[in-house]
Amino acid sequence: MISHHIRDIIKCVRCGRCRAPCPSYEVLEWESTGARGRMLIALSLATGLFPTEHMLTGLNTCTTCDLCKELCPSGANPRWITVLARRDLALKGHRSEAQETLYTRVRDYGNSLGETLPRRNWYKGEVLLKGDYVYFVGCLSSYRLPEIAASNYEILGRFDVALLLDERCCGSPLLKMGLDATELIEHNLSEIEKTGASTVITGCPGCMEALKENYHLKVLHSSEFFAGIIGELDLKPIELKVSYHDPCHLGRGSGIYEAPRKVLKNICSQIEMAGHKEKARCCGGGGGVRASYREISIAMAKRRLQDSPEKAEYIATTCPMCKRNLTDAGGKVLDISEIVGMALKA
Amino acid sequence: MDLLQELKKVVGDRATNDPAELYCYSCDASYIKGLPEYVAIPKNTREVADILRIAYRHGIAITPRGAGTGLTGGAVPLAGGIVLDMSRMDKILGIELENLQVLVEPGVIPARLNEALAPYGFFFPPDPGSADMCTLGGLIANSGSGMRAVKYGTVRDYVLDLEVVLPDGSIIHTGSRNLKSASGYDLTQLFIGSEGTLGVITSARLRIHPLPQARAVVLAYFSELDNAGRAVVASLSKGILPSACEILDKTAILVLKEYDPKLELVTAEAMLIFELDGVESTVGYYSERIIEVCSSLGAFYIEKALDEISQRRVWAGRRLVGVAISRLNPNKTRVYIGEDIAVPLRNVPSMLRKIREISRNFHMQIMTWGHIGDGNLHTGMAIDTLNDKEWEQLHKVGDAIHRAALELGGTVTGEHGIGRARGVYMDIEHGKSFEVMVAVKKAIDKKNIMNPLKIGM
Repeated sequence: MISHHIRDIIKCVRCGRCRAPCPSYEVLEWESTGARGRMLIALSLATGLFPTEHMLTGLNTCTTCDLCKELCPSGANPRWITVLARRDLALKGHRSEAQETLYTRVRDYGNSLGETLPRRNWYKGEVLLKGDYVYFVGCLSSYRLPEIAASNYEILGRFDVALLLDERCCGSPLLKMGLDATELIEHNLSEIEKTGASTVITGCPGCMEALKENYHLKVLHSSEFFAGIIGELDLKPIELKVSYHDPCHLGRGSGIYEAPRKVLKNICSQIEMAGHKEKARCCGGGGGVRASYREISIAMAKRRLQDSPEKAEYIATTCPMCKRNLTDAGGKVLDISEIVGMALKA
Repeated sequence: MDLLQELKKVVGDRATNDPAELYCYSCDASYIKGLPEYVAIPKNTREVADILRIAYRHGIAITPRGAGTGLTGGAVPLAGGIVLDMSRMDKILGIELENLQVLVEPGVIPARLNEALAPYGFFFPPDPGSADMCTLGGLIANSGSGMRAVKYGTVRDYVLDLEVVLPDGSIIHTGSRNLKSASGYDLTQLFIGSEGTLGVITSARLRIHPLPQARAVVLAYFSELDNAGRAVVASLSKGILPSACEILDKTAILVLKEYDPKLELVTAEAMLIFELDGVESTVGYYSERIIEVCSSLGAFYIEKALDEISQRRVWAGRRLVGVAISRLNPNKTRVYIGEDIAVPLRNVPSMLRKIREISRNFHMQIMTWGHIGDGNLHTGMAIDTLNDKEWEQLHKVGDAIHRAALELGGTVTGEHGIGRARGVYMDIEHGKSFEVMVAVKKAIDKKNIMNPLKIGM
């Protein structure tokens, strides 16, 4: 219950450091749509205010990017509080249409997109079901961006990385929207156990966070794995100028900044974006915002595209959600696995 | 037509009375709280004027608000009414290098203005700790300044003209493009620091300054707080004019170390941060003079010539040290009370002693830091905000600090303003001249709709 976390909420002294940089506040207008406003909303909820339209919009437009926590001088954690407040509302029956849709899709189809096709349609080869490492593909790479799944596994497959027989949504979208994901977690844990793998590799920072925090597994992002074996790959440098977009859940979420840069440095030239590493601006897609508020999500992505230097021909990233959102906003975006794939074929 | 509909007619969906939104606009960074009845977000002067006409007709209170980062309740609506969120009027309307000035809307964040000016080799000198989050409108309305005031002065020295919407909706200009003028009463200075009690600032014409060629930072650590105070007085009286001169006491240093361990600060009773700017030779010369003065007054460790990245880290940490005190104890939160006194330079060491005495008498840890170079000291206390007794004690400490500053010929606020939190001291500090202020307020705001119950009114 959010009312049990009043001390965590009042850690915020309302200094406003998180207000202007909050990606949703940048494109919306009300105080309630920024990190500081969400802390106040959580406080109002904890002290008995009945849910209102602005309360729901305020809480549900948070991309869970964690920039607020990064900037907070007093040590508050607005993202965590926001997710707790969402959960509180969901438990009280105040679910948005997008939350309902997501919940139903995952329950009925095992993926966040409501897809009925086989999850492994992107791969026609022989499936390795046992190994020290297993590749957790994720919903977006399985269905919407199969090129990312294919390019990741083209490399991972060379190192005998296994696949899951029956992978389902990792549960991250449900958890971030304040919903329960216990069944999914139990199912995937059992599948992972069957492979005998000690380490899970994924190309999706959202899955990565969930696998670490909610499954308590040893997890590597594929870019970390690539950085470790880069000397074993016969990569050829390619003429390409990219700027690297740090996905929130890989950077601030998991503290991984250098591995993708190391991989890119071995292949092409990389120019930093205006906000990068700990200070990177969100693509606008996370936290269920893309599913609930597509226009707002795209507006945030457009703002992020402005951070890319003019000299960069492509934005490189390490997250299918970031690729999808930035592409839909008009950006030219490549996943790091695709760039490694290009260097393998060069 | 009800009032919400009238507001929506002016600003469309940018007006609301949704309870959750009202709650979000019921406070700033101070402990003062008050619920508005409506919030409206205007995007141009015409919309502000139309809203003020509505409020004037209905006799309903207007509370202008920038980023809501104030520390005195200045933007908190104590009489209900309408909060005007001015932060979306955030355009830089013009950069006129040939006139050494810029024209901005009130919602522009100071740091963004300086980012825009840097490529031209210019900057806007007032540099508050909140430069990354406050708005220029709020800075002007509160007569703010910041870390470089010791050399460059306060925001009062940089405003040439304000466009202001008066309570009845009429629009005036308080000044002009001219860099100087001796024509009539100085209305610009009247509106600076008026905290939204006379009208709403809708644009500001500001002087800008060329960026210095070089900057250097000197950190001096002392084992006695008094000696740090003496070193500042001695430096300034020897004709050294730093561009910033800040003090941090032992607790403030601890907080800064906790906030940014990469800073590698030394534990001490006090630390002085001097910044020198200008041409390289002058910066070098005065850095050495400061080192001489600090050494002669007992500084046990002095660090200088930090690179640009380290300098930025020092200032970034220094800006937020006041908030970061909350990190020292998970059950305590920083509350702003008695946090902005200023005293004549000569009395700074006495004020530092007084603060320690108050800390002892009330058994409350008081962190002290601030712009010692212009006599402006900040104090920071963190309490368990769920404990009524700690609140009671905190208010007593704040009151003692304010009264101590006044006894030393000082002021209860150097740069944060009066708002609601310090209204009670207006009479004591200003005496008969406070009556003149009340008369000015009555003359301009006949219906008392502009930010009522503030600055002691």
